[in-house]
Amino acid sequence: MSDQPGSSILQVEKLNVSYGTFKAVSDVSFDVRAGEIFGLLGPNGAGKTSTLSAVEGLLHFESGTITVAGFDTKKKPLHARANMGVQLQSTSFQPELKIAEIIQLYAGVYGVSLSSEKLNDLLHDIKLEESAGKRFGQLSGGQQQRVSLVIATIHNPVLVLLDEPTSGLDPQSRRQLWERIEAIREKGHAVLLTTHSMEEAEAVCDRIAIIDHGKVVTIDTPQVLIDRHRNDPEVISVSRKGKITLEDVFIGLTGRTVRA
Amino acid sequence: METIVPKTSDALTALLRADFTTQWRNRRSSVLVLLVPVIILISWKGIIDKVGGAFVLSSCVTIGLIAIGLMGYSNAIARDRDKGVFQRLRATPVPSWAIMVSRLIVQLVMIILLTALVFLAGYYYDGIIIPPIGYLLGFTAAIVGGALYLGLGQMIVGLLKNAETVNSTTRLVYFVFIMVGMLGEFGLFGEGIKNSVQWSPYGTVKNILSASMTPSTWNNRTFIALLITIVYAVVFSFLGIKKFKWSSK
Repeated sequence: MSDQPGSSILQVEKLNVSYGTFKAVSDVSFDVRAGEIFGLLGPNGAGKTSTLSAVEGLLHFESGTITVAGFDTKKKPLHARANMGVQLQSTSFQPELKIAEIIQLYAGVYGVSLSSEKLNDLLHDIKLEESAGKRFGQLSGGQQQRVSLVIATIHNPVLVLLDEPTSGLDPQSRRQLWERIEAIREKGHAVLLTTHSMEEAEAVCDRIAIIDHGKVVTIDTPQVLIDRHRNDPEVISVSRKGKITLEDVFIGLTGRTVRA
Repeated sequence: METIVPKTSDALTALLRADFTTQWRNRRSSVLVLLVPVIILISWKGIIDKVGGAFVLSSCVTIGLIAIGLMGYSNAIARDRDKGVFQRLRATPVPSWAIMVSRLIVQLVMIILLTALVFLAGYYYDGIIIPPIGYLLGFTAAIVGGALYLGLGQMIVGLLKNAETVNSTTRLVYFVFIMVGMLGEFGLFGEGIKNSVQWSPYGTVKNILSASMTPSTWNNRTFIALLITIVYAVVFSFLGIKKFKWSSK
């Protein structure tokens, strides 16, 4: 397995996911490289979470291959999962457990030995040493996201999957989380995140894929996408500030219609 | 960088620690599950001479087993599934079966606790004495009976997705089992119901428990009850596992 800068950590090829007769993901292919933050953008119901869930091994996909750190998620699911850290859209832990206990649980399931000193360091790092005895539900949204991110990275995975990590956070918490996500990239690890925030995608993502109706519409760096589509009539027609932004490109490519 | 898949035993230890902590924090509801059979045991003191100690003890253990399988196990599974607790755990390198095995081990301990409590209360409050082998076989029969009710709980949580629906269904089934099983056994609803109850999940479990506590009463009928209990447990568990979805969405 290689996590040299630029090498592929996650490879998704011709992924197809269906719910009954509804095709949620259709022939989706992309890769996420070491030292890269890759954003998966799309309107509601576009297939982002289904794609992410397939990578996480949480749903059965009909066809295609997903490889994490060289391990096929169907053939070697435990090896693949051992190489990824996950933050789900609505993370939930047993409500009876305290923060320190939740961290210990996940350290245990990832096979990480966690001394009380190391646990305190982790809590100190996310500024929650005072909240070790609190329940997850008693924390603010920002604090919950910090705990979730610590758990997702407790085993130092080469790939971190974040499903709308900054959703519902205030600007301070969002900025802080961006810094933490960037710190993961600086370690040379890969990050795949979904977001509805174009500002976030533009600010933190090295490359993005826009997905709609289960298909990848385009993949590139935010700036290249803006440059490539700045003269599209659909993009110009939705531009509001005279300057083309990623949001304009996104709406231009996926349409103005509000999705359910 | 080398990929290290954690040992399943280490992961199971972490899961067990969390699940026992959760059970301990829910001790108020656990106490209620254990208390109901003990209250019945104490209140039936007057009829022990008439129906026998094993009858009373087996009825109380059966009622407790129903509560553990239906109220304890299935509701906790439905709630955690609804909240996404399982999905988060399944995204880790832990085999899915280990998540459930951990939950079942906690319930197994509850079954042993319940049986021990009923035996102790029976001995101290009601003066019920059974032979030592009866205690040993009683624990074994309680585990077999517990498997039936855990299987039933699994079937309910497998067939129904919504946590609220699971909650109301298990309460209803619990009530029906207690009322029809316990009172039907006394013949309060007529001979037809009395005969049906004997081969129902309530009747077969109670039968094998009662006969296990007084091994000299084991007969062909008890053996058939044991076989039916095992069949119930296998069928309920099979359906429950086959139909189970890890996410309620």
